[in-house]
Amino acid sequence: MTHTDDDHGHTHDHATPHPTREDDDLEMTPAEAKFLALKEMLIEIGMVTPAEIMQRLEYNSRGTPHYGAKMIVKSWLDPEFKKLALNDGRAAAQALGIEITDAELMVIENTPQTHNLVVCTLCSCYPRWLLGEPPAWYVSKAYRSRAVKEPRQVLKEFGLSFPEEIEVRVHDSNADLRYIVMPMRPEGTEGMSEEELVALIPRDALVGAALPGQPSGTVTL
Amino acid sequence: MPDPLITDIGGHPAGEIPKEEMNQLYWEKLMIAMFGVLSSKGIYNLDEFRRTVESMHPDEYKKSHFYWRRLDAMANLLVEKGHINYNELVRRANERLASGRRDHAV
Amino acid sequence: MQSSSGNRYALGDKVQIVDLMKAGHVRTPAYVRGKYGTIDHDCGNFENPEERAYGRVGRPPIPLYRVRIMQKHIWEDYEGPEGDSLVLEIYDHWLRPA
Repeated sequence: MTHTDDDHGHTHDHATPHPTREDDDLEMTPAEAKFLALKEMLIEIGMVTPAEIMQRLEYNSRGTPHYGAKMIVKSWLDPEFKKLALNDGRAAAQALGIEITDAELMVIENTPQTHNLVVCTLCSCYPRWLLGEPPAWYVSKAYRSRAVKEPRQVLKEFGLSFPEEIEVRVHDSNADLRYIVMPMRPEGTEGMSEEELVALIPRDALVGAALPGQPSGTVTL
Repeated sequence: MPDPLITDIGGHPAGEIPKEEMNQLYWEKLMIAMFGVLSSKGIYNLDEFRRTVESMHPDEYKKSHFYWRRLDAMANLLVEKGHINYNELVRRANERLASGRRDHAV
Repeated sequence: MQSSSGNRYALGDKVQIVDLMKAGHVRTPAYVRGKYGTIDHDCGNFENPEERAYGRVGRPPIPLYRVRIMQKHIWEDYEGPEGDSLVLEIYDHWLRPA
């Protein structure tokens, strides 16, 4: 059954802006049907309200890799902040005005001797309140299975390769902590503004699957 | 040790890591939101949810998609706790699928 | 929050991850059972997920540690240098001094 925007046969509420509604044009899947049925039943029994769901939807959309990149850049520029970030990730995020949750956050520093990579083998733990939803590759079974056993081969798939003298250290986020990686500041970035530095840090660098770009704008992958 | 949990896949052989960016569908965003509201209200906790995922049939788990899995586990947990009737859920879901009736105007 | 066990492990302590042969919801992956490592970080105390997963109260909170293990020790066929390691979170009752 295909739909166009014109023949839904019901009115849209345009009073509140909605996130992208790509699936208005997609055929309904059994999963979506099941979700809609579940939501309807839970609203009927008063367990949730539409307003609560929308409020949470908005709350969930706040996290963004931009926040993670800001924490990293602040650490590059301010040794005191860096100390705070490494000791208490949540306090550091809070200091930047980022809304935190109960989940613990640990910031892991890349050094000239060690490159860090984060995975959750058992499910898909990721600091969502800070970074938003993880990329599809992070939650894939292939990544969850292989990152702990063959991290260097996995990193090659991301275009990264490290000499043997540098340790590749994997962090399995298997219990209560969430992690982000603090990449090293790239060479030749002295004098760059905070915004310019933030722009160098791709989302994947915050879990160790990428490195920050070079000042020329090209990312060495 | 007893049989490993189906979710305990660290070190298992696997193929290439899929790199395509997948935008979250709108209903998936709503579902994640609803999941969060329910757990904030203490209807269930994250550990119960994980335990429910772990009780999926292994073949089902292997084929499962991340968001569909979350939905299934959430529904199973609500049934387990006696909040909803499974047959009613299935009936309504089938009706929706047949009619294609969406009401995202939550 | 008070620790339910007596002494805490210190940074650098050598430990072994015990296989508790426990069915049901646990957060200790199969691939590290029986392995030896060192305490990398004391994460503090957390409610026991093995209890919470069944709607039981997870109190008193139990110590959680990050344990560092050498990759060549975990995987027989690890393809990488000796120095590579892996760090993960293990609850106190899954550890014993080594």
